[in-house]
Amino acid sequence: MTQLWLSRLVIFLTLTFLIGPFFIIIFAGLSAGSSLAFPPDGLSLKWYLAVFEVESFRKSFILSMFLAVGGTLTALVLGVPAAYALSRYKLPFGETIKLIVAAPIIVPGIIVGLALLRYLVVPLDFTVTMALFLAHTALVLPYAVRVVSASLQNLRVDMEEAAVLLGCSRLGAFSRVVLPNIQGGILAAFILGFVTSFNQVPVSLFLSGPGVRTLPIDMIAYMEITYDPSVAALSALLAFLSIGIVFVAERFLGFSRYV
Amino acid sequence: MFTAALFLVPVVILLSEGFKVGGEWSLAGYVDFASKPLNQKVFLRTLKLGFLVALTSAIIGYATAYCVVNLEPRHRGRIFGLIVLPLMISPVARTYAWIVILGRTGIVNQFITGTGLSDTPVRFLFTETAVFLGLLQLFMPLMIISLISSMENLPKDAIAAARVLGANWFQVFTRVILPLTKEGLVMGGTLVFTGSLTAYITPAILGGSKVLMLETLLYQRVNVANDYVSAGIIATILIVMCFGANLVLKRVAQGRSQS
Repeated sequence: MTQLWLSRLVIFLTLTFLIGPFFIIIFAGLSAGSSLAFPPDGLSLKWYLAVFEVESFRKSFILSMFLAVGGTLTALVLGVPAAYALSRYKLPFGETIKLIVAAPIIVPGIIVGLALLRYLVVPLDFTVTMALFLAHTALVLPYAVRVVSASLQNLRVDMEEAAVLLGCSRLGAFSRVVLPNIQGGILAAFILGFVTSFNQVPVSLFLSGPGVRTLPIDMIAYMEITYDPSVAALSALLAFLSIGIVFVAERFLGFSRYV
Repeated sequence: MFTAALFLVPVVILLSEGFKVGGEWSLAGYVDFASKPLNQKVFLRTLKLGFLVALTSAIIGYATAYCVVNLEPRHRGRIFGLIVLPLMISPVARTYAWIVILGRTGIVNQFITGTGLSDTPVRFLFTETAVFLGLLQLFMPLMIISLISSMENLPKDAIAAARVLGANWFQVFTRVILPLTKEGLVMGGTLVFTGSLTAYITPAILGGSKVLMLETLLYQRVNVANDYVSAGIIATILIVMCFGANLVLKRVAQGRSQS
């Protein structure tokens, strides 16, 4: 009996440490006062509303959304055929290719960002948006390949062979048999990629230019100059957004099976 | 594929920059870098914090994982979800919470001044403690997840058997649990350690320029001093440490299983 209570206490304490800070953010954002405080000086929703009025937040939110959606879609367009090739055929240097694809995850983000900026973006004169787009695509690619590979492994090769035997072309078999069967995996990869890209800071740090920043970087810049609860409110809103996406995905897809 | 390959080239060029001084290949940059006390301090601090965060999360992780595994399956999934949840939320939001908690008018300081422990607020922000707490909260879920999944494969009888045979709890842990879950420990440890080494947001927000870590030092060298030799050196150190940590931990795991 004491053991049961002890174990509950341990779990409770750990969860408090891990999740407690979010409750604090949510309430700090509800403050009616003009400086960051907890417990808040009176409750109001004004900071939650104020967030939408900040021009730079709006701009960077749109940019982050664009990078997350566009980058992840591009990564999937590249990643699905790559995953298919890697898991179906014995490619020469298959292992090496896998390692290269994984590289943007292994190499610390800040180094990737700096390297790209100095040796690719500046010499080739890319625009900031273009550079960010490339970086985010490459960053999400490893996740796309891995998650899609995992769901391809659960798909029996026989089904595809059967389709081909029955007179379907290879391409037809891929689009009509393989793709529908790995839909779940692709969607899971999309969500994982979206969340990763949206929350990404180090890679974008050097690549962001004047006036063109992703949302997390804009938030850091904002909190360095002001000390009001709007960042808390925005953090809370973003947290709800992420949780909502993952929750919906889990509900309808059993998302955790794929990761 | 091309996107990924496009990444490696700039990174390699960046790394090579550390070996060049005035256009010539030499190790002088490294000698110079190593002789500066600030660099030594930052290097050691990064290692120390990475190690401490990994160690602490292993200790808490074992306790939590043990308790979670012994829960009824019904609750287990829910608790597991709560542990994973923070991973989906923006690190900026997660780090920001610590400002609210540890800041001058934060919760901890209100408690301290309120109870009369100290008349003036204690400075927690921009100390190693703050960075440590931030990193711990950021990466502990990874450790707990790895440990839970390896503990699920641990036969419950093994612990009971060891108890019956007269082992105390400490012996049960070192002789039974630890050897049987070391894969999870190694994986979690690698993730947490390399994660802490390469984290940017947490040391940037909670440490500022007072508590520099290698990543924030790199950013500063580039943005403030335009010093690409140092940047290349730091990048090399970070990558070597990440891969090194991987190798050492793998070696440790194999070595133990042979003995």
